[in-house]
Amino acid sequence: MNLQRIMALVKMELKKLIREPAYLFLMLLFPAVLTLAFGIAFGDPALGMDFSVLTPGLISYACIFIIMTVAMSFTEQREQGLLKRINVTPMTSGEFIGSHMISNMFIAILQVVIVLVMALFFGFRPLSDVVGFILAFLIIALFSLCSVGLGLITATIAKSAGAATGISFIFILPQMFFGTFIPITDTTRIIAMFLPSYYVVDALASIFGGAPLTSENLLIDFGVISIVSVAIIIIGIQLFKKYGNK
Amino acid sequence: MSSKSNIKDKPQKPEDIFDPNNNSAIIIKDLVKQFEDVTAVNGLNLEIKKGELFGLLGPNGAGKTTTINVLCGLLKPTKGTAIVGGYDVRKNLKKVKELIGVCPQEPAVFKFLNARENIELFGNLHAMPKKKIKERTDKLLELLDLTEASKRKTKGYSGGMRRKLNMIIALISDPEIAFLDEPTVGMDPRVRRSTWEFIGSLKNQNKTVILTTHYIEEAEALSDRVGIIDYGELIALGSPKELMEKYESKNLEEVFMKITGRRIVEGI
Repeated sequence: MNLQRIMALVKMELKKLIREPAYLFLMLLFPAVLTLAFGIAFGDPALGMDFSVLTPGLISYACIFIIMTVAMSFTEQREQGLLKRINVTPMTSGEFIGSHMISNMFIAILQVVIVLVMALFFGFRPLSDVVGFILAFLIIALFSLCSVGLGLITATIAKSAGAATGISFIFILPQMFFGTFIPITDTTRIIAMFLPSYYVVDALASIFGGAPLTSENLLIDFGVISIVSVAIIIIGIQLFKKYGNK
Repeated sequence: MSSKSNIKDKPQKPEDIFDPNNNSAIIIKDLVKQFEDVTAVNGLNLEIKKGELFGLLGPNGAGKTTTINVLCGLLKPTKGTAIVGGYDVRKNLKKVKELIGVCPQEPAVFKFLNARENIELFGNLHAMPKKKIKERTDKLLELLDLTEASKRKTKGYSGGMRRKLNMIIALISDPEIAFLDEPTVGMDPRVRRSTWEFIGSLKNQNKTVILTTHYIEEAEALSDRVGIIDYGELIALGSPKELMEKYESKNLEEVFMKITGRRIVEGI
């Protein structure tokens, strides 16, 4: 592993985030606008919606969109011959994927900060301590790996950046409807339990709700998120290496 | 043509091949590359010497780019051996990548970065020292007349400027072996001439350059030796002068026509 190579690509990805309007909107402005919209619509407790309940969902929903940006980024780079160009440098595939994981973890953490800060204006009052916040950031960082993995799977299937946008919704929509900010019924819970976002929202809700960090429920959530995220990123890397990098 | 003694499974150090007794930068032995039922490269044998500017000439679809892609590790050979800088591309690709610079046929640059950022990014991917990256970047931008535009995002570049940048990125690491795949396609004649001068100057630095082209004039002007390739097979090999004399032709286009009965440009 060469840190110079990894950091060069991380820097490039972050420049893209700032300079490319589509990425800037999806990654940073969209979570802000979504939180603002939900804050205005449901910020008043008299409406019967508790914004504290919505916030964990908004955080994970923002992170889910990493699937789309990763898929777009990889397909664009493939279309423009940039993947091949990087492939003929001494950079290893581990360093290449590692740089994407780091840059997307960083973006996911930025998203959490944006949503949390804005949510505070609409009455969100987390009951967790510093350690709880660190755990929340760790959970989101892990969840971003899952999104990177799903993005790689999307990029493997998609032939173009346009197709990648559409195909990414296969992974985004179920997590959006059954695992983020939309209330879950007993029936939809059965579906939701197969989605990683459900465990992320459950864990964040426990942390921000002041549950003990050693509670069984939280540990199970953390375990599921860790295992699923690692498994999905490994599957994504293997599929993309074999079929997507052509 | 290559001799078996030149192909070593474990020379594994550049100096093993770049020594006075073995002056080969590239050895290709019985190389075959098939894509399903299409044979893009068919039993190619070739030896390119260190410091040589070798032109790979042929019509579009002849197998030039496929050969380059095998040599730089983007494609796995179906059969045969390819040794680059003493390293077998199948067995020691990482070492091969440390020695080479590749200028792809289609300019591949990050459009949201400016020229300098693009060049520096690839310098970092080669793990070059920061100081050397800066020095090489300044030098190459100057040589290819891109200094003034180097702080503008490449999104607004003309085709010619993008092609120049494409070549600078390939050469940022000061590679021992440079693969230039149709580097001047789409350039206007004035820029093409200045690019030829630049490519010619690489020879003075004792770099090995493999230039694929379908421009006859380009191959004649730049190459020490030319390999004419058609349907994946090497059909003629020698210096442009030797080939023209042998086939009693005025230029390489005529050489190609005498061998195949077709014109190179027909395939374009």
